[in-house]
Amino acid sequence: MFQIDFGNDGEIVCTGRLDAAQCEKAQAFMDGVGDTQTLDFSALEYISSAGLGVLLKTQKRLVGSGGGLKIINVNNHIHDVFRYSGFHAIFDIETPGG
Amino acid sequence: MQRPAGVSSRRLARSGIFLSERCMQTKLNRSYDSLEEMYELTERFFLNEDVDLSIRFPVHFVMEELFTNMVKYQPDNSNDILLAVKTLDGSVSVSLTDFDVDDFDVTVDRNVNTEAPLDERTPGGLGLHLIHKMVDSINYDYADRQSTVTFTKGTN
Repeated sequence: MFQIDFGNDGEIVCTGRLDAAQCEKAQAFMDGVGDTQTLDFSALEYISSAGLGVLLKTQKRLVGSGGGLKIINVNNHIHDVFRYSGFHAIFDIETPGG
Repeated sequence: MQRPAGVSSRRLARSGIFLSERCMQTKLNRSYDSLEEMYELTERFFLNEDVDLSIRFPVHFVMEELFTNMVKYQPDNSNDILLAVKTLDGSVSVSLTDFDVDDFDVTVDRNVNTEAPLDERTPGGLGLHLIHKMVDSINYDYADRQSTVTFTKGTN
């Protein structure tokens, strides 16, 4: 199960598992946001390469218009995926420990 | 999760799933909709086998990347995909077998440039690159239009 919605402080909260079956839902949501956005991954358990594609496509669009994504509360496993992908160089990423 | 008392090997109610103390095997429909079923079945097996969390995440990742690749690039194939998972001394071995398919070795590293700047990046292609970062070994066999990818992962 994957959920994506705005949190109380305007951040985008992702919950569950973002796999290939859930990317259409995630992309549809992300296509509706603009400017600079914070993604809270504290409840995101898993992300696949298809999920990385959603983030990359959104980041390219937002950076192209002067904004961008900040991703916070990334668990260690997902952080490893980001590191292997070189995403730490193209996204603003924060782990729970800072 | 509790192992069924007094039962070392059994066939689950759902047709096609074989589960024993150290192995499970099932056929999955060729659809992204099978990802949730694959995750739930294997995660239940891993919990039952006390597989370490540090192994479970990369195993799920690689398993799903391989399965997704099979679904994506053989859309006209109606055959199920066979999944077999084994544990031994804390390590996990996973095999995915695809039937009546062309030869395509997914274990060849595509050498994606993960240091490229954002404007040179394109979505896609990362999955088959990332699996090499997450497994201890990976092998591909192809014969009689049947491909099998097997990978292992243990606590390093």
